[in-house]
Amino acid sequence: METGQQRTGKKRTANGRIDDPAAAASKLGDRMSQTAEQTWTRARESVGDLRDAVDLQGRVDRHPYGTVAAALGIGYLLGGGVFTPLTGRLVGLAVRIGLRLAVLPVVRDELAGLAESLTGAADGGVEVGGGSAGSGESKK
Amino acid sequence: MDVTREIEDTARELGERVRPQIEDARRRLSSFNEQAVSYIKENPGQCVLGALALGYIVGKIARR
Repeated sequence: METGQQRTGKKRTANGRIDDPAAAASKLGDRMSQTAEQTWTRARESVGDLRDAVDLQGRVDRHPYGTVAAALGIGYLLGGGVFTPLTGRLVGLAVRIGLRLAVLPVVRDELAGLAESLTGAADGGVEVGGGSAGSGESKK
Repeated sequence: MDVTREIEDTARELGERVRPQIEDARRRLSSFNEQAVSYIKENPGQCVLGALALGYIVGKIARR
């Protein structure tokens, strides 16, 4: 003989509550959906916060090449290319170029000053290097 | 001073011949630069991620 519980699919639990599997599944589904929604919202907020903090668009607008170069450098670091011969060579080259760029203006100024003093001496007829600049004699 | 004048004339001629090519190259470079900057500004995420990936690959290759 079929009981009422078997007909409806509901079971009475030990504490007297009626256990409906369909309702429980529905409730569980609702809860999962809510949790997923909350997680998605939080993730979106986090991504938005991160985007605001990084300000990628602003950075790219201000320094397009600099941002790309920085990304390239970070990728290089992440790829483990720091303590390699290639890095050593690149750093050496950069140092050499930097030194040249730093020294070149100083040397140029010095040469310009020297040339000015020489031309001034030649115009004024002042002796340079032990001889008259205008007389065609050179220092020996 | 004929030699000096000849050298000056040759240099001037050479300069006049090369100047349009230099101007053209400068114009092309400027145009390329503008295109590159506008592309980076239009696609910042793509460019940054691409540069990151490229740097990573170069770092991996350099590590070998």
